[in-house]
Amino acid sequence: MSSPSPIDVAEPDLGDLVDLDSPWIVLVWNDPINLMSYVTFVLQKLFGYSKAEAEVLMLQVHHDGKAAVSSGPRSEAERDVFRLHEHGLWATMQQD
Amino acid sequence: MALFRRPVRPLDDGTYAIELGEAERGLVRSTVDQLADLLHQTDSPALRRLFPPPYGDDVERNDGWAALAMPELIESRLASLALVTESIEETVLDEDGLDAWMRSINDVRLVLGTVLDIDDDEAPIEVDESNAATYQAYEILGMLLETIVIARSERL
Repeated sequence: MSSPSPIDVAEPDLGDLVDLDSPWIVLVWNDPINLMSYVTFVLQKLFGYSKAEAEVLMLQVHHDGKAAVSSGPRSEAERDVFRLHEHGLWATMQQD
Repeated sequence: MALFRRPVRPLDDGTYAIELGEAERGLVRSTVDQLADLLHQTDSPALRRLFPPPYGDDVERNDGWAALAMPELIESRLASLALVTESIEETVLDEDGLDAWMRSINDVRLVLGTVLDIDDDEAPIEVDESNAATYQAYEILGMLLETIVIARSERL
């Protein structure tokens, strides 16, 4: 058996890696105009939540003012925000 | 006894029956047309609820988003509104057609609600002569949207 000889490896910049990997979360905020049934429907349609799961999130939005509906890399979060805005939901994104 | 028939309901072949009176169709048509006109003036404050800034207080990122996403969001909304205008007299809609009605009516409600200054779940809306027609349209479209959502949710 042999073992690999040590070689010089450039230290990765962990700061950058952490920044890239830290997921973004997408939040839906309460608004007094959107119907509760419509918000539930949109969460089911866009994210594949069951009706029960979507209702829990909708009620969290209603009572707590906001709920996290998805998380992931920035590009995916932007896509989710775009689709939520397309459906008239008040969505924002922030890094976790 | 009379049987209550929902104005929007799923049919066996995957489409949806739309049974609305002329007054309701006229309301949908005129509000949808007005929203399409309004979307050509993107700086109208009545539209602010349709395009929320996604990055909180980060002005630079919000500006970048507005430059990239706004034109696409406007185009997507105009496409749905055009589908509604084309199908306004239809008594049967396919799923794409019904989804366009749902999104467009919701968009109209967001704008009417903004104009009516509805910004609190609990506070009652003050209705007077100046906003009674707008409020009535808001309520009628809310009931129509609810029946569309119920029908469409049966097919999820």
